[in-house]
This record gives sequence, structure tokens and C-alpha cells, in this order.
Amino acid sequence: MKTLAGRIAFNLFAWTVVLVTAFPLIWMILTSVKPQFELFRIPPTFWPEQITFEHYVRLIYETPFLKYMRNSLILGFTTTIVVVVVATLGAHSLVRFRYPGRERLAQMVLFTYLLPSVVLILPLYLMMVWLGIANTIFSLVIAYTTFALPYALWLLRSFMQGIPDDLEAAALVDGATRMEAFVDVILPQALPGIISTSLFTFILAWNEYLYALVLVNTDEARPLTTGVMSMLVSAFNIEWSLLMAASVMMSLPLIIIFAFLQKYLTRGFGAGGVKG
Amino acid sequence: MSGNPLDKRYAVLGAMLIAPTVLIFCAVIVYPLVSALYLSLFTIFTPTLRGSFIGLGNYAYLVNSPEFWRSLWNTLLWTVCTLTLQIVFGVAAALMLHQNIVFRSLARSLILFPYFVSTVVAVLVWRWLFNDLYGVMNHLMLMAGLIKMPLDWLGSMPNAMISIILVGAWKYFPFVVIAVLARLQTIPDALYEAAKIDGAGAWSRFVDITLPQLRDVLVVVVLLRAIWDFKEFDLIYLLTGGGPIIATQTLPLMVYKDAFGLNDMGRASAVAVSMMLVMLSFMVLYLKLAGRGERESQP
Amino acid sequence: MADVSFQKVRKAFGSAVAVKSLDLAIGSGEFVSLLGPSGCGKTTTLRMLAGLEFPTEGEIRIGDRVVNAVPPGQRDIAMVFQSYALYPHMSVGENIAYPLKKRGVGRAERDAKVASVAATLQLGALLDRKPRQLSGGQQQRVALGRALVRDPKVFLLDEPLSNLDAKLRAHMRAELIELHRKLGKTFIYVTHDQLEAMTMSDRIAVMHEGDLQQFGAPMQVYEKPANLFVAGFIGSPAMNLLPGMIESSGSGLAFVRQGLRLAVGAGGQAGQKVTIGVRPEDIALGSGPFVATVRIVEPTGHETIVMADIGGQSAIVRVQPDTAHVVGSETPFAVRTSRLHAFDSVTGARLDLAFAPPAS
Repeated sequence: MKTLAGRIAFNLFAWTVVLVTAFPLIWMILTSVKPQFELFRIPPTFWPEQITFEHYVRLIYETPFLKYMRNSLILGFTTTIVVVVVATLGAHSLVRFRYPGRERLAQMVLFTYLLPSVVLILPLYLMMVWLGIANTIFSLVIAYTTFALPYALWLLRSFMQGIPDDLEAAALVDGATRMEAFVDVILPQALPGIISTSLFTFILAWNEYLYALVLVNTDEARPLTTGVMSMLVSAFNIEWSLLMAASVMMSLPLIIIFAFLQKYLTRGFGAGGVKG
Repeated sequence: MSGNPLDKRYAVLGAMLIAPTVLIFCAVIVYPLVSALYLSLFTIFTPTLRGSFIGLGNYAYLVNSPEFWRSLWNTLLWTVCTLTLQIVFGVAAALMLHQNIVFRSLARSLILFPYFVSTVVAVLVWRWLFNDLYGVMNHLMLMAGLIKMPLDWLGSMPNAMISIILVGAWKYFPFVVIAVLARLQTIPDALYEAAKIDGAGAWSRFVDITLPQLRDVLVVVVLLRAIWDFKEFDLIYLLTGGGPIIATQTLPLMVYKDAFGLNDMGRASAVAVSMMLVMLSFMVLYLKLAGRGERESQP
Repeated sequence: MADVSFQKVRKAFGSAVAVKSLDLAIGSGEFVSLLGPSGCGKTTTLRMLAGLEFPTEGEIRIGDRVVNAVPPGQRDIAMVFQSYALYPHMSVGENIAYPLKKRGVGRAERDAKVASVAATLQLGALLDRKPRQLSGGQQQRVALGRALVRDPKVFLLDEPLSNLDAKLRAHMRAELIELHRKLGKTFIYVTHDQLEAMTMSDRIAVMHEGDLQQFGAPMQVYEKPANLFVAGFIGSPAMNLLPGMIESSGSGLAFVRQGLRLAVGAGGQAGQKVTIGVRPEDIALGSGPFVATVRIVEPTGHETIVMADIGGQSAIVRVQPDTAHVVGSETPFAVRTSRLHAFDSVTGARLDLAFAPPAS
């Protein structure tokens, strides 16, 4: 890439690849602002001839979309809070305490992190029915911990292993108890890791489909994933621009995270996702 | 452990901190896992949840069931193909994004986005792209003269299998990109400069320096992705539902269908357990690798 | 009065034994260095004293209190870590104030004490900065300040100077000596750097493979190393260790090895395997009864180090810079027998052997 021409050519090539990859998402946004009739043009128009937000308005006023969104938000935040609190305590214990069985436990966490949901889903379904909490958001929170907790634990454990042991030792010598050292020193240091883990957990919960499909079949508790799909299935004729508008709305939290908190995502990846 | 009271107090505190995790694990993971094994020995009618013990009957049925073998074959085919594409595109894109291109961080975000977007969104968009009448895919291919008639992307074979493999590759290759990119950034520039001085060209620098440095991370990524692709449900279920007929039905889909379509939870559990047994080899391999890496990184 | 004592302290991590059976009594106000190569157990010893590790067996006392099960914060100790272990999210002032805060010292008193410590260590202008905005030397001072502010009975320092550059290290060494003199508190200082140990300590505890090898004043350790390990470890360049044998020689005994024969005045018995130790400054090249071959000559300016071959073994000799030695040439040499050390080659223990001055 020494010559200017070479640089330009490479940049053009790279950006073509990037845009082709991103095309489905660009197309989603474009479709969502086209009037319904424009979708049926042959050949299709690329830029909308006329930009309209009618689909978004309809989505909000004429469909249960907002209800699904509220469910998804409750589900996402509850799962994240429960999982991150439990996992932070657990990871701290796995990293800084010595007791029998600790290594086994860490291994088990990794094992469950790889476990397929379909193995657990049938017993969980029976469990929810038996407990009488099937068809509630709460049942989904419980189900989501099955994948979110091992994941968060593993991620946080990696982050916490990166905090030098000397910091806790210094706090102990300075007069802190183990719990005070955790609160005063470890937690502030783990904060970026906790933020990363929270974001990942939230995204996992936000995007989950299978458990929501099996455990919930009422609009009262249905999150966005199954809710939007039910809009597709129940519609007499598929209104693609409406669905695309729903897809855009559904991706909003991700877009926000990407725009403002991306460094936490990549950091989380480095810590736990790949290193294993 | 020594008999030091303080040491013991610390151990108790440590155990208390991990206790919520252990309790939740037992309730929502260990118990269901064991009971999945147990359920697979029954025949259970889903709507009433009544059943009777049939021992290994479900497994015997599966061994003789062409549908099971077909689903296993589909699972393997899908895993191998989509994984290969993910690795190839992932490594290529990572190498590309590692170069100094304009608006690199924006390019990176755009490439990563498919991985983070909900499968539901990905599937809706792709179904719209694949739409037989108004879909862009058909239109572009017609325009390019590659096809004469609009294709039925999801409803016929082998198109359906190819489509899910492609969408799978699109959705999950960013995982490879992030992993490889992170590793690329840790390769010291001095290595490349030394190779340049030794007269190595761009290609031999890639083969002799980059690839060996990437080997470890690629092994981990391949294993992880293999495990995750193997158990993929959402993407395939939402794109084709396993169809046409069972042409793209993988094992996770078969579990779902047996349990809630054919209303036999026992047999569904048997499929799930069989599937896990196949995965177990990958999982054990990964656990071993991860364990090794861990020991190496500790003093 | 002993301020800190270890009684038969043993520490094992699983099957690995870090400290074997340590007996050590450190007097009040003493500056003691734990010296040894890495992995010798010196840091584990210090961490046990701090309460960060627990002894597998034995007793540790601070003052007259057994502290085995006392949490670190209640041991009346302060510690400076090799990594400094400053709390990155706290400012310098908050770092120094933290130990006081954990002891429930009120805000006004806290501020006053922090200000006074900061003044001593010239940190006054930096109190609002975060540790990462400081240079290595400044971070070091903050770590020191956090220890000082508590006014503890015992200071523990774990290789506190090893991350500083050479010049700063020399400076901080002097400051630590001054500080110790001023405070009059017990300092226990872990280091692998013998120069630090020699210059700063009242006494040095030399450790190796979990065992205490020798515990004594710096000059005592230097002049009378208790065994082969200490002999080889203390001193730079290291003492030359030449193995040989005691043989009868006429009416008396002699230490004999290839290229060397020294009459023994007292002690020893024929047939004993003995290693003698000669410091580089105790070999005189140029004249004498023995012959060495010059291998390498390294002038350093104020002196010249010569590596010479004595009967098949290379030895290091310190000579005046104005003497010329030709590589490859043979040169006569003599040893100062009054300053020879002798050790049992098998056990490594120091032998009480007197060598007769060379018959001239």
C-alpha cells in the first residue's frame, strides 16, 4: 500500500466489502421508510422516492409493539441485574478465595456456558408449569439465567483475574475486611468489566428467541423477538415495511450501545468471549 | 487447607459469595440436565404431561429413524459449511480491517453489527431480501444474468440449505473478525520488519508470520463456533422452519418439533440428549484447551 | 526485646514447600533484610507476617502477640508493595488517607496527618492527582506515604525499589535509611539485591530454597559466610569457590587442587573434601607461587576485572586498573591466606580452617 493509487484502490475495495456486509441492515432501514406501494416496484427503488414514517406510527398505535417492547425492557433489565449481581459476587469468590472445589466449579461454569438450550428447555418448561409461573416474564428471567449466568461469570472472572492481587492485599493491610476490600477496591476496578458484562447480558436477553417461544404464549408477557415474529405469522398479507420498521425499532438499543459504548463490547470480547 | 481460623473464615466467606451462583446452577441447569436424561426414558404426551416409562425405547426408535439420521446429517452439513465460510470471511475481513482504511472504526462497527443484532431481525431482513417476487436478491441476480427465473430461496432444495448457510455465515462471521482482530493487534511489528529485511514478500509474511500467530486463537474460535453452530435453533427455525419437509431440519429443530409439534416430550428429550452426546466431544476438547491456556497464563 | 519472631514456621502450597522451618527473631527498631534469589521464600515469609498468607505450621509473633489468625489490618503493620499497589481510582490524598479511614480516624485528623506525611515526602503538590499521572518515583513515595501515615509498629517492604531506575534507586536507598533512623521503627525489607541489603540493613537474613541460611550483620555475612550458598551469593563479583582436598603434607596438612597447594595451619583432616573461597580482591596477580592463565580482561575504569584460569577452573580477580594483563599469557599469583574461607564440599558448611601464610 505504498502508492496513493494503491491506497485508494484498497480503500474502495474495503469499503465495498463493508457496505455489502452491511447492506441487509441498510436495506432494512430504507424499506422501513418507504411507502407500502413503493415496495412492489419492479425494479425496486434504492433510495425511497418519498420518505414516510407512517409504518412507525402504525407500529406504535395499531400493534402490540409497545407492549412487547415494555416486556423486553423489563426482561432485559431484570435479567441483567440479577445475573450481573450474582455473577459479580461469584466471580470475585472464584478469583480471590481458596476453598475446596473451586477449580471444579470454574470448569463447570465453562461447561454450562457451552450447553445447548434445547437440552434444558423441556425440563424447564415442565418446571415452570409445575411452579405455575409459565407465561410470565419472571419465568423467562429464570430461564435466561441458564445461559446468561455462566456467560457473565466467565466474562467477569476473566476481568477480575486482570486486577492485581496486590490491590486487595494492600487494602487488607490498610485495615479493610475482605468485604470492604471488595467494595472499596475490587468493585471500582472491575467496573468497566461489569459494564461490559451488563451490556452483553442485556443483548443476550434482548435477542433471545427459543425460550420465549416455548415458555410464553400470551401478549402480556411476550418479548419483542417472539412478538414481532407473531406479527409476521398472524398478518394476512405480510407488510414488509411494517416489519422492517419493527426491526429497526428492535435494534435501537443495539445502535445506541454501538454508538456510545462500543469500547465496552470489544473489551468484553477480548476478556471472555474468545480467550475462553 | 491449614487449620488457621482466619483462613477458614475467609473460605466460608468465599463459599457464601458463590452460594447464590451454585444454588441457581443447581436449580436451573443441573436439575434440568439430569431430568432431561430422566425424561428421555419416558413417553410423555405434551398437552397433558402424562407419560409412561419405556426405558431406552426412545433411543431404540431414534437409531432406526431415518428422520433422526437425516437431521444429524443436516446439522453436520450446516455446521461444517457455515463454519468454514465464517472462518474464511472472518479472517479475511479481520486482515482488511487491520489495515489503515478511512473511517476504520465506522467500518468495524458496520461489520460487527450483524453479530449483535437479534436473529429475529436478521431473519426478517433476509426473508425480505429473499422474497421471491419483490426481493432484492432475485432482482440483482436477474439483472446480472445469473438466473433467468426468480429463485425460490427458502422453499426448495438445495436453495434452502444454501440460504441458511449463507445467512449463518453473514450473521456469525463478525465473531471471528473480533477474535482475530484482537489477536492481530498483539503481533509485534518487529516480526514483520524482520521478515521484510529478510526479503519476505507480502504473501510469505502472511503465511510465515500471521497464520502461525493466529493458530491458537483460530483453534479456539473454530471449536466455540462449531459448538454454537451445532446447537443453532433460532436462525434455521425462523428462516425455513426445517423445511421443505425436513430438508433443513437440524437436531435442535427436531427436538422442538417432537416436543411441541408431535407432542412427545420423551422422544424430544432423547433427541436432545443424543445431540448433546455428539457435542460433548467438542466441548471436552474446548474445556481442555481453555484449561491449558489458563494454566499457562497463571504464574 | 524481640519485636517480630517466627517460630518453626513452615508454609506449603499444596506439595510445594515455600518456607521449610523458619526461626527468626527480629529486634525492636531493627532494619532487617530478607535476602535471596527469587523463589527462596522471602516474599512468602513477608506475606505471612503481613497476614496475607497463613503458615502451615509454627507461630508468628508481633510484639508478644501470636498473630497467626489476626487479620492483616489488626496486626499493627504497614506494607509497601513491589508493584506499589496504589488504588488507581483514588487520588494520591485518598490513597494515603485510606488506612486512616479504615481505622475510623475523623476527617479533620485524617487531613492533617495526610498533609504532614505529604510534606515529609514532598507530595504536597500531587495530592489531587491520580496514581497513573505520577512517575515511578512519585508512585513509590505515595506507597511509602500510605504506610507512614498509620504510624505502625512494623514496616514491611517488598522489593520497593526494584521498579525504579538505578539513579533513583540509590537516592531512595538513602532516603529509606534516613527514614528508618528518624522513625526508629522495625523495618523488614525483602530484596534480591545484595547491595540494598548490605547498605541498608542492621542485619541480613539470607534465604535459599525455603531455608534460612544465615542471619547476621552485613559485614559478618560478608566476612564469615556460614555456608557455600551464602559465600557464593554475597559479594559482587562473586567469591571464587575452588573445590579440592585436604592431604597430608610432610608433618602437617595441605589443601590441594590442581594449580594450588596451601598449607593448613589448623583444623581439617586428611582426605576431607573441602572447597575454599577466595574473594576477587584477595588474589594478587603478578608474583607468587602459583600460575594462572589470563582469559578475559575487563577494565571498568576504577578497577579491572580479570578472569583467570586456575587449574582448569576460571576465577575472578580484581586488580588495579594500571596493571596490564595480556589475554592468553600466564602469570604468577598469590592468595591472601588470612582471608581465605573454607567449606565442607559435601555439606556446604563453613569450616574452621586456618591457612599458613605462604613460605616466602
